[in-house]
Amino acid sequence: MQHTIIFQPSGRRGQVEEGTTILEAARKIGVDIEAVCGELIVCGKCRVKIMEGKFQKEDITSSMGHLSELDEKEQKVLARKDAEEHIRLACCTKILGDVLVFVPEASRTGKQVVSKAAGKIKVKLKPAVRKYYVELPEPDLDDPLGDFERVEETLYKNNSKMKKLTIDYRALQKLPDVLRKSDWKVTVTVWNDAEIIRVEPGKVEHNIGLAVDIGTTSVAGYLTDLNTGDVIVTESMMNPQVRYGEDVMSRISYCMFNEETGLKELQDTIIEGLNTIVKQSTHKAGFAPDDISEMTLVCNTAMHHILLGINPEYMGVAPFTPALHHSVDIKAERFGIDILPAGNIHVLPIEAGFVGADNVGCLVADKPHKRKEMTLLIDIGTNGELVLGNKDKLISCSCATGPALEGAQIEFGMRAAPGAIERVKIDPKTLEATYKVIGNNKWSDGKVNMLAKGICGSAIIDVIAEMYRARILKKNGQINHDHASNRIRKNDKGLSEYVLAWRHETAIDADIVVNQKDVRAIQLAKGALYSGCLIMLRKLGIKKFDRLAVAGAFGSHIDKVAAMAIGMFPDCDLKKVEYIGNAAGDGARIALLSTDERRDANIIARKVEYVELALEEDFNDRFGEAMQFPHMFDKFPHLKGILLPEDVE
Amino acid sequence: MTNEREQELIKRLQEAVINYKPADAKKAAEEAIAEGADAYKMTMEGLAGGMEVVSEKFDTHEYFVPETLLCAKALYAALDLLKPFIKVQEGTVRGQVVLGVMQGDVHDLGKNIIKAIFEASGWTVHDLGRDVPLKKFVEEQMKTDSDIVMLSAMMTTSMVGIKKLIPMIKEKNPKVKIMIGGAPITDKTVSEYGADVTADNAPNALKEAMKMLDALRKGKM
Repeated sequence: MQHTIIFQPSGRRGQVEEGTTILEAARKIGVDIEAVCGELIVCGKCRVKIMEGKFQKEDITSSMGHLSELDEKEQKVLARKDAEEHIRLACCTKILGDVLVFVPEASRTGKQVVSKAAGKIKVKLKPAVRKYYVELPEPDLDDPLGDFERVEETLYKNNSKMKKLTIDYRALQKLPDVLRKSDWKVTVTVWNDAEIIRVEPGKVEHNIGLAVDIGTTSVAGYLTDLNTGDVIVTESMMNPQVRYGEDVMSRISYCMFNEETGLKELQDTIIEGLNTIVKQSTHKAGFAPDDISEMTLVCNTAMHHILLGINPEYMGVAPFTPALHHSVDIKAERFGIDILPAGNIHVLPIEAGFVGADNVGCLVADKPHKRKEMTLLIDIGTNGELVLGNKDKLISCSCATGPALEGAQIEFGMRAAPGAIERVKIDPKTLEATYKVIGNNKWSDGKVNMLAKGICGSAIIDVIAEMYRARILKKNGQINHDHASNRIRKNDKGLSEYVLAWRHETAIDADIVVNQKDVRAIQLAKGALYSGCLIMLRKLGIKKFDRLAVAGAFGSHIDKVAAMAIGMFPDCDLKKVEYIGNAAGDGARIALLSTDERRDANIIARKVEYVELALEEDFNDRFGEAMQFPHMFDKFPHLKGILLPEDVE
Repeated sequence: MTNEREQELIKRLQEAVINYKPADAKKAAEEAIAEGADAYKMTMEGLAGGMEVVSEKFDTHEYFVPETLLCAKALYAALDLLKPFIKVQEGTVRGQVVLGVMQGDVHDLGKNIIKAIFEASGWTVHDLGRDVPLKKFVEEQMKTDSDIVMLSAMMTTSMVGIKKLIPMIKEKNPKVKIMIGGAPITDKTVSEYGADVTADNAPNALKEAMKMLDALRKGKM
């Protein structure tokens, strides 16, 4: 009997025979799990977490009860570490039913390549948090003024803005001791010129904050020096919520289907993740978590609601109304985020149900609303968001691209990690493929074992573009069997496929192929983006844009020629295509460093007009046309020499 | 009209649908009407016949969503002309369905393809559109006494409504059959929500609907 097993965070799934161990299944499916001791139930490296419950999106009910029983030996190994629920060893646990297995970071061999590097930003420093060193006059019987008022008075003398300050409850509790132990020489941390949030003994120069970008798939934190604006440490990780579903919709539905606990579980999971980033980044920089006095956050609307513990159900269905648009300021303590307890958590504002604070972050970073030229901004993540316009007007929309462009929902798709094919070329004459694998500088030669495990997002776009260029794909996306190549074939279920890497080149004991369904998934995704672009242009009554800004960590890895060749966006001069990196994260950093920018963000967020694509009368038609390669009718004169002549003119 | 001429028009309608040529479809339909051809036969053998080939092409991955949409367009170009001339024929009447996209969902591409295929095959389709309030489905079914209610959902979040809706429909009319479809829906959803069937594409939906209708009609006898 066969059972379904799904591994997270990779999202890979497969059918295995009853009695297969989790580790065997992982190998078969191409998921890396550490197994240092050679499956002797000794090292304990292969710990995995078994998810319990119903997962609508994955269509699976996973349970600890679907596994072989825990025996004494395994129990002993597991007991060496702190007891955590639902943990098993992959090497000796047999599969007896459907299971969803989460492989924790520590148990993964190939570490994820999360590249959300901080970009260059220009900002006039005006952080919300400032530190003031003050020497106070010691009180005596002639001057018995209270400690807080004493601090306030001195601060006011130095800075007339500091009027009517308040003090955080916890800071107040510590105040009398700190003042006396430090001989009345203290550094006072003030938030927004309004509230004292910390009083430290002596002179403290460093003033740090943390900007965080919570993506659906990955989370990046930028530990930032608020005095200089420099990033001290960048810390990133997979979004731990991935184990509840790969995309936003599946997480929203998890909250809906698990009414009592779902939202809380997801909220706790992301807060735990944020705390990990806080701990690791401060540790690396030689600070304590308490030294972070403020945090700014960007994320999409669903992540936003879940983080704040707000039911995301209503923003998940039409008319997609968010709980609020405005930015939110909440004390860390109330969240359970382990920075300075009185520290502020600033969450950037939201544009619409499917255009969230992350998109506002992009606007803050790229500032299309301050430019004269028409910018088309594409933020490609698990969802695609578009913004079009200039200083006069901005409109935005969300395209349901799904995670296919990132390599999910693709038979051999995987995230960017060692072993992932990242670049592909196909010879249009021989139809032979050559590719590059992450972690290896050489291109494949068809002989050497490249230890390839799958295809990541950038290579999916490459391979589709190359297949189309080599006419392996017809304009309508159909795999063309007219060629005489053993790479083009049908699998045992009759599904057409193209062999990208032969079994002897892979680490998974199987050929890596791109099949017809994969092509269809990409067609849907890129059709959504392209038709979104067209409708936006039409909405503004323009034919062309002056610059195309591609944002998103994944976007930076895409080859722009390949992306245009498959028709992800309309034809334009390739010189106008600009990668702006992880603009959402850059926006979070800018907001961290400037209260003026925060104010501006709230204004833009409400100024951008949201367009609901699906409500456009002709959306289905435009979407359908845009699904073809590169487009059913549109021509691409800028790809002369790259595309077939009939697509150019 | 000669048999030969009739066959020629049927063939032209078929080809117009298969090769998504709305102008050709329109022209063939106009000629058929002008020459007094049997509109029902033209629809069934010409348009529906063409759509059958389209379905096959979809199954074998030759066609995908864009082509199917275009075929449906060509089909409507002719069907809109032919429809008024179709005489209700005893014994050949197909079923009636209520069709719509769930509340909270505005994705109606799949629903529109379904509608085209069903209408071409002679079914009466009561299309409620998208983002349809639950009550509306119940009311429409009661009003039209339709055999099947077909519910479409593209998002997991809007799919949830189906679970509430099915008991509401069945309470009023236990005999009515429910077909559900859309990206997040699987066989498991069908059993959990108490629906009767799902289909992963429009041609299969039609096949399933025929089966259910047969069962319903036999049940009545």
